[in-house]
Amino acid sequence: MAGAIIENMSTKKLVILGVILMLFQAFSFMVGGLIAPSPTAAVSYLATKCVDNEKTHHKNPKWFTPWGPDQCSKIKDFDEAMVKKIEANNIVFAIHIPPPNTEMSTWFQFLLLILHFDIAFKIQNQIADGASITIDVRLAYRDDKLSEWTQMAHSVEQRKLSCNFTAAKTIENEGRLYDCDLLPFMELGSVAHKYYLLNVRLPVNERKKVNIGIGEINDMRLVGIHQNGGFTKVWFAMKTFLTPSVLIIMIWYWKRITQMTRPPVLLEKVIFALGISMTFINIPVEWFSVGFDWTWMLLFGDIRQGIFYAMLLSFWIIFCGEHLMDQTERNRFSVYWKQVIPIVFGSFCLFIFDMCERGVQLKNPFYSIWASDVGTELAMAFIIVAGICACLYFLFLCFMVFQVFRNISGKRSCLPAMTKARRLHYEGLIFRFKFLMLVTLACAAMTVIFFIISQVSEGHWLWGGHTVQVNSAFFTGIYGMWNLYVFALMFLYAPSHKRYGDEQSSADQAGNSGEDTQLTTTITHVDGPTEIYKMTGKEAQE
Amino acid sequence: MDVRMNQGHLLLAVTLIVCNSQLLVVANSWWSLAMNPIQRPEMYIIGAQPLCSQLTGLSQGQRKLCQLYQDHMVYIGEGAKTGIKECQYQFRQRRWNCSTVDNTSVFGRVMHIGSRETAFTYAVSAAGVVNAVSRACREGELSTCGCSRAARPRDLPRDWLWGGCGDNVNYGYRFAREFVDAREREKNYPRGSVEHARTLMNLQNNEAGRMAVYNLANVACKCHGVSGSCSLKTCWLQLADFRRVGEFLKEKYDSAAAMRINRRGKLELVNNRFNPPTGEDLVYIDPSPDYCLRNETTGSLGTQGRLCNKTSEGMDGCELMCCGRGYDQFKTYKHERCHCKFHWCCYVKCKRCTSLVDQFVCK
Repeated sequence: MAGAIIENMSTKKLVILGVILMLFQAFSFMVGGLIAPSPTAAVSYLATKCVDNEKTHHKNPKWFTPWGPDQCSKIKDFDEAMVKKIEANNIVFAIHIPPPNTEMSTWFQFLLLILHFDIAFKIQNQIADGASITIDVRLAYRDDKLSEWTQMAHSVEQRKLSCNFTAAKTIENEGRLYDCDLLPFMELGSVAHKYYLLNVRLPVNERKKVNIGIGEINDMRLVGIHQNGGFTKVWFAMKTFLTPSVLIIMIWYWKRITQMTRPPVLLEKVIFALGISMTFINIPVEWFSVGFDWTWMLLFGDIRQGIFYAMLLSFWIIFCGEHLMDQTERNRFSVYWKQVIPIVFGSFCLFIFDMCERGVQLKNPFYSIWASDVGTELAMAFIIVAGICACLYFLFLCFMVFQVFRNISGKRSCLPAMTKARRLHYEGLIFRFKFLMLVTLACAAMTVIFFIISQVSEGHWLWGGHTVQVNSAFFTGIYGMWNLYVFALMFLYAPSHKRYGDEQSSADQAGNSGEDTQLTTTITHVDGPTEIYKMTGKEAQE
Repeated sequence: MDVRMNQGHLLLAVTLIVCNSQLLVVANSWWSLAMNPIQRPEMYIIGAQPLCSQLTGLSQGQRKLCQLYQDHMVYIGEGAKTGIKECQYQFRQRRWNCSTVDNTSVFGRVMHIGSRETAFTYAVSAAGVVNAVSRACREGELSTCGCSRAARPRDLPRDWLWGGCGDNVNYGYRFAREFVDAREREKNYPRGSVEHARTLMNLQNNEAGRMAVYNLANVACKCHGVSGSCSLKTCWLQLADFRRVGEFLKEKYDSAAAMRINRRGKLELVNNRFNPPTGEDLVYIDPSPDYCLRNETTGSLGTQGRLCNKTSEGMDGCELMCCGRGYDQFKTYKHERCHCKFHWCCYVKCKRCTSLVDQFVCK
């Protein structure tokens, strides 16, 4: 990295660049805050209790719609069912998604359903300890209001009921509801159809102890979460705009590197890899999900994000290592195996976890890893391992940063004693390192601050008559920020055309030319050791 | 003599007018929707008029709303019913036990007095409507609810495809405000009059009831970011159990503020030492009538014949409940279901247990 642009740029130009980047940053926040709606929307549904009068309900599935032209015969509550002597197996909970007068759209990207039961406390009929509920669920779709329903999935699922009753368990408090945890129910990776219908049964089988001791269920509620179409559009537009800008700077960067006589060093390769992974995230392949029913898009998005994070974390480690100035030969990826392994292992764990959850959901949308005990333990194990890896990584990183700073202060004291060229070289290293540290810290701090704000705030603020969507601003702003980060990195750390130290040492250039060439070779690490060892030897003598 | 006669007539006429106007002020009988079951609205969709003109007790504005939102009427009735039921549960051990008298005036003449009890009744029934409309909204029973752009209340969030639906608790709140308050808002009494005071009191209590549902609704959230991380989080409002709303309003009943109307036509505290009530507090303008004895003019039913608890020292104790008139003791057989076997739905197998219990009834 001989003479990166950042070292040769005048302060004025650097400030101008900084201001431009800041403007883009502000713009990306504003796009999310002012144009985009909130990223997701939640719609609550209450299941309609339909009565299945036919005895042969398992043979040919009949679809029960809660409202509309051919709606099912309904009951209002289960007291009514009790009077009419309707059996549990003949009661079908029907939920139509979306609500009346609306239709789903591919712009919603995904559909997540959460299940919640209203279970009334009855002193005689309490929820047994560790009770789990067995759900027989069918999912169907259709694309216009009159056609037949087409089955999409059918599954029998188990969910653990974890409910507690806050009031005293006395006869006085009968009829009050239990406080039950929300249960994960379904996840669709693409919303390709206009109307969806869920038919849920809670079959009772006394001999097999199916759905026994689950208390008195009054109602079944669902919450459907999907991405807002408006947010999707803004997001896609942003990606479409960012892709060429990062791609162009990446090509330019690589051209600069290949123009040099020496082969690229590790750091340059890593920066390039970072650019590639950023572009990989940026490429708006999601446009296809609008036209095609690609359920794996959600998983693919996760993988792309994972790759970028892994790349970014590796980059920081390698960047610190390459600026360590402890004169050991690095410049090889294998040197960093100790630090990179936690990243790889952690990301791998999260990948496996994601595959277990979202991967299986490609086949069965009702699958949830959290539903079974083994699954929960496994999932927790993956997450804990990933957490440990993250801790290890940050320990390594902090240690490396500490080392660099220690070396910097060590070098600082002997800077005046060095020859001009070598001094400039070290000053360059220090400046490069400090600049990136500062920018990275700023970016990380921004991410954390905005994350906290978006978690704490209620999602939107009123600001001078405008609604500011804090959550959307968080997503677009942070996404834009890391893009700008990668962009700035590739631009500023690309090799400069100006020769190193040109401006400063133009007066005695002729005399120093010998040392100048030496210096460049030192920094490129190609045959650096001689120079470096000389210097360490000198230092040791002193 | 003639003059006196005339004066007498005049007096009678005035009293009649006053009585009449008072009847108009307080006949809040949209509650009667709770009493006469409304047929399913589908049957009335073509002929819009019959349903709304058949319903008794609606004011002019409410009738208009009925025509616009026919499918909502069933749920308003249901809401009123839940409200009344909850009122009866909360006051089951009090001298006034929220009992209903007939179909048209629902609670009888007691509601003509702007008392604490009246305040609670208005609040709890308004709360019931918010609850029922939000519920129907979630069930997909209301065509105008939340998302659709046709004929919905103003300033609901943007288009469904662009930014999703407004939440249905919000819709329930708005609709209840339009409907329940319509009766009060369309009246035009002179500022500072007794009727004006009563209108203000009703509006305040209606709002307090609606706010109770809205504020007790808790926010539930779900994280669904990359690998289940919380980078993406979605929250929604979840309605509280209506029993909790009832309890909350009962607390507000106990701390209700006595008000009077001032010259500027605003309600002010009778006793300035207390803090002024907020929008969520109940207010009343008249002292409660004596609920001990039956009284045709106040509409009190008296506590004669009510069951009481001999050992209790609270309001349900025989001493207080019977207002010192004493009580009769009965021995009765109480049949109870016991050793029951339940399934979640629709299946109960019980034995019948009988026990001999003492019962005390006020004289």
